Amino acid sequence: MATSPPARSPRRFLGGLIAAGILLAVFSPPLPAQGLAGVSIKVQPKMVKIYGAGGIKGLESYQSGFLISKDGHILTVWSYVLDTEFITTILDDGRRFQAELVGADPRLEIAILKIDAEGLDFFDCSKAEELNVGSRILAFSNLYGVATGDEPTSVLHGVVAARTTLDARRGVFKTPYRGPVYVLDAITNNPGAAGGALTDHQGRLAGILGKELRNSLTNTWLNYSIPISQLNPAIDDIMAGKSRPRAVDEMAKRPARPHTLAGLGLVMVPDVLAKTPPYIDAVRRGSLAEKSGLRPDDLVLFVGDRLIPSCEALRNEISFIDQIDEVHLVIQRDDDLLDLVLPGR
Amino acid sequence: MKNIPNPLCRALSLLLLFSPLSLAPGQQEEPSLDSQEQLAIHRAVTIASPSVVRIETIGGLEQIGQLLLGDGPTSGVVVSADGYILSSAFNFVRQPTSILVTTPSGKRAAAKIVARDRSRMLVLLKVNSEESFPLPQLASRKELQVGQWAIAIGRTLSRDSANISVGIISATNRIWGKAIQTDGKISPVNYGGALVDIEGRVTGILVPLSPQGQSSELAGSEWYDSGIGFAIPITDVLPHLEKMKQGEDLHAGLLGITLKGSDIYADPPEIAAVQPKSPASEATLKAGDRITRIDGMEIVRHAQLKHALGPHYAGDKIRIEILREGKSISLEATLTDKLVPYELPFLGILPMRDGEPVTVRHLYKGGPAEAAGLQPGDRIVALHGEQLDSTEDLAIKISNLEIGSEVTLTILQQGATKQIAVTLGRLPGEIPASLPPARGAAPAGDAPATGIFEIKLPEEKNECRGYLPENYLATVPHGLLVWIHEPGTDEFDKLVTIWKATCQRDNLILLAPRSADPEKWDPTEVDVVRAMIDEAIGSYNIDPTRIVIQGRRAGGAIGYLTAFNHRDIIRGIVPIDVAIPRRTNLKPNDPVERLSIYAITPTASKLKPAIQARLKQLEQMKYPVHKVESADAEGRLDAGEREQLARWIDSLDKI
Repeated sequence: MATSPPARSPRRFLGGLIAAGILLAVFSPPLPAQGLAGVSIKVQPKMVKIYGAGGIKGLESYQSGFLISKDGHILTVWSYVLDTEFITTILDDGRRFQAELVGADPRLEIAILKIDAEGLDFFDCSKAEELNVGSRILAFSNLYGVATGDEPTSVLHGVVAARTTLDARRGVFKTPYRGPVYVLDAITNNPGAAGGALTDHQGRLAGILGKELRNSLTNTWLNYSIPISQLNPAIDDIMAGKSRPRAVDEMAKRPARPHTLAGLGLVMVPDVLAKTPPYIDAVRRGSLAEKSGLRPDDLVLFVGDRLIPSCEALRNEISFIDQIDEVHLVIQRDDDLLDLVLPGR
Repeated sequence: MKNIPNPLCRALSLLLLFSPLSLAPGQQEEPSLDSQEQLAIHRAVTIASPSVVRIETIGGLEQIGQLLLGDGPTSGVVVSADGYILSSAFNFVRQPTSILVTTPSGKRAAAKIVARDRSRMLVLLKVNSEESFPLPQLASRKELQVGQWAIAIGRTLSRDSANISVGIISATNRIWGKAIQTDGKISPVNYGGALVDIEGRVTGILVPLSPQGQSSELAGSEWYDSGIGFAIPITDVLPHLEKMKQGEDLHAGLLGITLKGSDIYADPPEIAAVQPKSPASEATLKAGDRITRIDGMEIVRHAQLKHALGPHYAGDKIRIEILREGKSISLEATLTDKLVPYELPFLGILPMRDGEPVTVRHLYKGGPAEAAGLQPGDRIVALHGEQLDSTEDLAIKISNLEIGSEVTLTILQQGATKQIAVTLGRLPGEIPASLPPARGAAPAGDAPATGIFEIKLPEEKNECRGYLPENYLATVPHGLLVWIHEPGTDEFDKLVTIWKATCQRDNLILLAPRSADPEKWDPTEVDVVRAMIDEAIGSYNIDPTRIVIQGRRAGGAIGYLTAFNHRDIIRGIVPIDVAIPRRTNLKPNDPVERLSIYAITPTASKLKPAIQARLKQLEQMKYPVHKVESADAEGRLDAGEREQLARWIDSLDKI
């Protein structure tokens, strides 16, 4: 499992699998089997080692990238490493180029570099693969900077552990990117790996490796990759020289006049613990909360789709809802869960 | 065909027909092993994941000790269609106010913890829902082979689908038989979820575990994503499911024996002591028995016995085969969850440390031996007619008996042989007001250089000085008093000044290690202290019944940790103004690895309530605890108080 599978004679293999074999024979004429070694040989010429700013306070001065045009466009992550006039790139064959920054999208945390070269091997982003949970993957990157000069980048293998989105809850992930990601069952996101290429087991591009990211839901490190399909419009814009929107401040989305607990008529239990469970202590007479059927001792579980683990989280969450909008709550009363809607004003 | 199981073929053919992963016409794809495996894994996940549910918790603790807890969703496995879910205790260590489980229809329903498996760190939840939950297919532990595919399934990362990790089975019998091991990435992302085989059958429930510290829900979580992950075989737990549904917790099964020797991988499982009122004593096991088989499984070393007993729950019946005086005997024992704390029985004598065994040095006032007519200078030659070879022999034989039981001693009193009956009592609370010498004139022997010596361990920064009394002779066993310095202090010279005379009179050697860091002791330094004691044992003639650790505050805390981590050698601890540290592994009181406590607390100490509460815990565990208060704010003893401590040390070998 941990190594490339042995090359098999397709004939012998098909002879073994009767039902599957017939189907496969119909849809795909047997080709010489290509092991992972072959895949690596195909991918490595497209990989780029990137060196720039950093090197102090535990910040590495290198990251990974890959070619996305035959004329020397390189896709990588937007980071402090690129925050210098002298970005050095080294191709798989050992050739060294100074790169210029074509443009970046800080919201997606990607950047495109350009080197002065031609006729290069590259990934065609418009033909990127979509992966499913369980799809086998290879991750190519210069993690920990172990590859230098013409040494090929490091290859890790694994599967897609999950497809999820990074916007599940505010404050969970400290990254501006808020879209779908592949979570990987491989320890891919280490220093220097960001900007590396995620491919399927045949070396077809599927994603770009993200930065190191801690998942505060579980207090574990998250190994993730952004699907190329999420990046294509931005890549096209940057290559065409169009400007991209700046990173959006989450907090800026707050409405000018949001709901408040007092405004809804809710008094929560005294917030004495770090995670005081959001129990309702009292409901003001005649308030929206009372009219909607809330009672003292109800435990607020959800506002909309968001799980509310504490009183503080409840206060924070309703501050994102405009006073004129409805507030959807799921509450627990004894063992029952109830859906309640508080109307807007 | 031979090397590919049939179900896999079926799985592949089905997938190729229906799966979105199947190949688009016109696209070139070779039927590589990789592709085949990918399809099989996908199918296994599709089969098993409906039985893995998402669990969300609300409220509760944010942090336990140093560990910041996540509050994200966790996972559980359906074990009963009416909504019973098994999960990892790790997921509920926050003691949440409310538990929600996502039902098959995608709704959320409230759930409650019904019971816990405290041996394997699992919890059973009941979901308050009318829906029918899909039961997984199961694979028995017996079918598992190292190297086969193992897919970990959790529900943490996405609401819509399971998250997976793919690996192999690394071992089938870990953590003393309780767990299977996988190299898949096991972490809070899938704790409580399922480990499944390539056919989608559930083999185990994913949990953090560590061979040490098994009693904590958090133990082993520091190994997340390391390639060492554990799962509790589901077929080991299901036979007990009905019991758990009734709200009954499951506990590890205990037998109640102490084995001879301390190297669990080398020493044979010979019983040193049997705890009274334990399953072992009810099964009529005796000290000296050698265990040869448990439930038919051959046992040669301690570790194998741990393996054989590890998976058992309280209430389980086991068959024990033993070798007793050359004869093989088969017995049955019913394991228990709780042993009555062992309390050392007391004969009421202090033995001489020289001469013929066992000569009475001192009789405790009002003690059992005195009541039965024993006198100082008498010799005890046999117990229940069995000849005694040594003082230690008598001590071990007595420790195996129960308080209140009657023993017949054969004694030599003023030249006459007598039989007397003694009813064993409890250890005395009082320390004798005076003691006669423990030995006569010392026999001639090597007299090495005495006075101050130093112990320096290679690679350790700790300094350690010691004092060897001027009358030391290699033929005379000496007690060892280890003073653990408070960080950054050096009280060695003072220590020698005040203890010198006592050391010479009572045959005591002093040892005074200092912390490597002048700011603090690191808990790992308990092993450095141990190594220094070993060094002293190797260099001098040390009496194993009188090795005592003393220390003030941080020094006393390290003293506690050293004493409880190294029960095999340490017999006494003298903590000054310090409560037992929380991380101390408070093992039950033991007939062989005796440990007595002499706690000194300054009258004005702020820590007094905490110290007393923790000492009470030790007393409930039946450890002999002697408590004294000191008028001095630092807990320094005056001459009279120190004399009493010296007599306490001098009487640690009482029987």
